[in-house]
Amino acid sequence: MNELKKKFESIFNNITVNVVEDNRIVVNIKKDEVLTFLSYLKNLGYEHLSLVSCVDWINKSEFELIYILSSYMAKDEEYQEKEKTKIIVKTRIPRKEARFITVINVFENAEPYERELHEMFGIYFEGHPRLTPLLLERDYEIPPFRKDFDMQNYVDNTYGKIPSIKERKKEQNERT
Amino acid sequence: MNIIALFISPLIAIIIGMFFLGLSRKISARIHWRYGPPIYQPVIDVIRSFSQMSISHGRFFDFGIIFSLVGSLVLILFLPIGKLYVLTSGGLIAFLYLMLLSPFGIALSGGASANPNSSIGISRKFLLSLAYEVPLLLVLIAVMTHYNTISLVDIVKIQASSGWAFGSWALVLPGIAYFLILPAILGVRPFEVVKAPQEISSGPIAEFGGKHLAFYTLQNALHMFVGLGLFVDIFLGGWTLFGLLDPISGTVWGIILGIIIFLIKMLIVLIIGLFINAVYPRFRIEQAMKYLWKWPTLIAFIGLIIVMLIN
Amino acid sequence: MDRNQISKWLKNPGKMANKYSFHVVYFCTGCGVIEIPPSITTRWDAERFGIIPVASPRQANLFLIAGYVSTKTLKAIIRTYEQMPEPKYTIAFGSCPINGGMYYDSYNTITSLDKYIPIDGYIAGCMPRPEAVFVGVTHLWKLIDMDKADGYKRYREDYKHYRANQEQLFGDMDWPPLFSKENIK
Repeated sequence: MNELKKKFESIFNNITVNVVEDNRIVVNIKKDEVLTFLSYLKNLGYEHLSLVSCVDWINKSEFELIYILSSYMAKDEEYQEKEKTKIIVKTRIPRKEARFITVINVFENAEPYERELHEMFGIYFEGHPRLTPLLLERDYEIPPFRKDFDMQNYVDNTYGKIPSIKERKKEQNERT
Repeated sequence: MNIIALFISPLIAIIIGMFFLGLSRKISARIHWRYGPPIYQPVIDVIRSFSQMSISHGRFFDFGIIFSLVGSLVLILFLPIGKLYVLTSGGLIAFLYLMLLSPFGIALSGGASANPNSSIGISRKFLLSLAYEVPLLLVLIAVMTHYNTISLVDIVKIQASSGWAFGSWALVLPGIAYFLILPAILGVRPFEVVKAPQEISSGPIAEFGGKHLAFYTLQNALHMFVGLGLFVDIFLGGWTLFGLLDPISGTVWGIILGIIIFLIKMLIVLIIGLFINAVYPRFRIEQAMKYLWKWPTLIAFIGLIIVMLIN
Repeated sequence: MDRNQISKWLKNPGKMANKYSFHVVYFCTGCGVIEIPPSITTRWDAERFGIIPVASPRQANLFLIAGYVSTKTLKAIIRTYEQMPEPKYTIAFGSCPINGGMYYDSYNTITSLDKYIPIDGYIAGCMPRPEAVFVGVTHLWKLIDMDKADGYKRYREDYKHYRANQEQLFGDMDWPPLFSKENIK
């Protein structure tokens, strides 16, 4: 574990490596170096991108992108240290004009995750082949997972505005 | 006599078929350690279906299901129910042809509904009938060679006159083969590939509602009756039971008791089949074909050779 | 069956048969899907009441909606409901279809289902236990006896209001109205 930490710190500058618990390493890194760091990790044997996630830090006006990497277990007998380890790569991007570079070239399965993030947080991934809607059907002024999206207000204005059948009938009776 | 039989035999077939459907639901429920529905539940279902609005998808949709119901009803006329029979000529050959009418009607109806699930179900249905027709044909050839006649009525009469109630020892292997393909003929588990509610949302009957569904349930009951009745007539000697009815043969009581013995034999076959039905999961279609073309065909073929050697 | 039941059967066999033979389309989302399988299998055997699940809405007469309803699944629910042949009954299972439940402020989950399709009975709770399904069904029997389970009649009468609500939610709807144009306006 500590060998990995030393290795990372020796190769990359501007990097903070925390060993939070057994088999879990959190790496904070500048946003320019993410792509090189991920491809370096892939060559090291961490071939599986489990998740791309995002946290909205609205007070610091930053988005935190999180990439969770793990490695396939080759064989149970040859169980190596690195195969048990999960590496969590975190980076921060500004909240205004949220743009980031896509990691599809390194990990192909990042495509739906990035589409989802584009939809839910409004982050634009440069180089992504199709950033079309994946889950949502309705149009939202602010992407719904951002902290400044007022859920209660939205619900009152859309679903709450739809009248019940009784109200519709009463309305019709008044009209005629 | 014939006129009475013409009306009574379809009536018996429908009533007993519905009773068997309810009984099979109850027995499989008890095998699953459930309480199960009341035995008259299929009757309630049919009444409900008749009371519902039926949605039609064109003229062929209506025609196909009636066609298949009529096909099954005609089949009943060829089948001796105890001593009750209407048509004596034609026999097994006509039976074999008419057995394809009801799948054909369902296929017509399902095709007209233009549902993709129905199309998959129909293709599976025809593949399955292709698979079970081979051993069925071998079995029927063995039976026809052994008794030297194609008439079902004559076959039952020969069995009655020979005194031995349970067919003949030469026909044991074809009997086993027929019992193995019986679930495929009836379209129940482990050969439930045609309906398969979990995969293709009940297949050809996916668009059936209201009266169409009611007709389908009635057809299903009739088909079950025919499949079981053929087995009893060919291999278990129909209404004979160790010459028990010889003293009163010819009287009305003889006929009624003959029907009752016939139905009891059917019930026994049904219950043995239900244990297989309730325990086993469903085959995939290619597994079903592989199975049907391997074991029942092999057994039926050996049975046919033995029958030919004895003759 | 007592004498009362038999006279009812003779008077209106269709209604009584509808009562005792519910063929159900289950629409389960979220935690609703956990509660339904025990109720139809060995532990709480629903088949003794004549309730069996069917795969296709054409064969069904009871529609049981369990769990939250998002706008995307609401489309499927409306289409399934419109495909069922009359008479048909609906039960909303759990608090989410009633008033939104724990998703009362969700960006994508509708708050009350009865604005879009008529509901005959509600089973409240989060989640109700499988016994509650049977309590709900016995209540539905009483409603059918009193001719109060008339959701499908209401849908026919007030179709223009229901359609207006659906159009207000979805904007353009990509399927034609169920009933004829004169019925709408």
